[in-house]
Amino acid sequence: MARTRALPIQIATGDPRPIGKQIVDAVRMRIATGELEPGAQLPSVRGLAQQLTINPNTVAKAYAELTAEGWLESRQGLGLYVAPPRQRLSAAERDRRMDEAIQAFVHEVVALDYPPDRAIARLDKALGVLAKKSA
Amino acid sequence: MNETPHAGYVIETRGLTKRYGQKVAIDHLDLAIESGNIHAIVGANGAGKSTLFRILLGFLPATSGEARILGRDSRRLTPSDRERIGFVNEEHTLQGWMTVAAVTAMQRRQYPRWNQAAFDEVIGHYNVQASQKVSQLSRGERAGFNLALSLAQRPELLVLDEPTLGLDVVAKRAFLETLLHSHAMAGCTVIYCSHQMEEVERVADNLIIMERGALRNISPPDDFRSRVSHWVADIPFRGPDPRTIPGLLDAQRIDGIHHYLVLDQGEEFAEFLHACGARDVHRLPVSLDRAVNSFLSKQHAAPVAA
Repeated sequence: MARTRALPIQIATGDPRPIGKQIVDAVRMRIATGELEPGAQLPSVRGLAQQLTINPNTVAKAYAELTAEGWLESRQGLGLYVAPPRQRLSAAERDRRMDEAIQAFVHEVVALDYPPDRAIARLDKALGVLAKKSA
Repeated sequence: MNETPHAGYVIETRGLTKRYGQKVAIDHLDLAIESGNIHAIVGANGAGKSTLFRILLGFLPATSGEARILGRDSRRLTPSDRERIGFVNEEHTLQGWMTVAAVTAMQRRQYPRWNQAAFDEVIGHYNVQASQKVSQLSRGERAGFNLALSLAQRPELLVLDEPTLGLDVVAKRAFLETLLHSHAMAGCTVIYCSHQMEEVERVADNLIIMERGALRNISPPDDFRSRVSHWVADIPFRGPDPRTIPGLLDAQRIDGIHHYLVLDQGEEFAEFLHACGARDVHRLPVSLDRAVNSFLSKQHAAPVAA
């Protein structure tokens, strides 16, 4: 069984973002950057509330939102785990973000005055790492 | 956490009024606080919080109206009703000449439902020796001792009146940890009066705002926060007359840019600002602290510099 991963996040009072929102943002960011990998177990509601000295109900609400959005999944009686990354975005949203990523990449390549065929070769190699990771 | 087996309200007032001569301390207050959770009550000095608790606990008669606590009429509380209510105030007044052990023994005799495990758990957060005299304890230790005694009573309702006032950072943290995470808190509804929004933001499930003896808000803190918005508008020349600005809580002009804190305004407020000649309008969220303070200081808002 996976051990609970430490969740080294901070919250600040007096911030325009509610504490619950700060937790949601921090967990999403850690999943997106790969610091929290799929299958990693999150701290218990009580544990994270103690760590941050906040009301456990605030943590419970943040976890519920992350679960509803597909970032986390609950395993009966075991706790919450980082969900596999697939179901998070709709197909349209995925396409939109992919277009964005390509645009950003192309703009950078233009600025570098880099030959397209060499750029594609480099990109192919870089994506090969991803293919391995998801295999 | 903090679910009580009793449905309904822990505190209920109807048309509650208290006058001291000409001064109205509580003004036809209708307040219903549900059982379970932590309810923070905030209000400026003189908002009527202390008077309200003195009436609820039966120490002060109301001028008119009804007050009930744990379903009982506040005017007719029996000793067994009082056992169900824990009360901790900022003074942490205890018999200074007695030892910690003696005060504890006295309380244990007084409360038949005494919970030694709860007392031990809470006092364990503080460096308090049984042989110490109460007068030798620091303010933070006295606060912890007081909280331990109250929770050992197995209260269904715990009323905390500015419990962390004057405590240092470490003692405050220990107090909050007990309040939020102690097993002794299970099944206890908490009323938390505080001016310290940093603590309110950490602990409160529900935010109750009182002003001039009347109820002004009762909702989860984030619902209240989202009612207040901060607008930044670049308006050449004069801004609108403050009296015409809908929901205005606070207005400032900083480096020629107008800043408005407003209550209950949606996107139509942007149209209002554009109609007043604004070129550039931004809406910003506000912190809970700022939302509450601007709401409470609305009465004292200074006129906008033109």
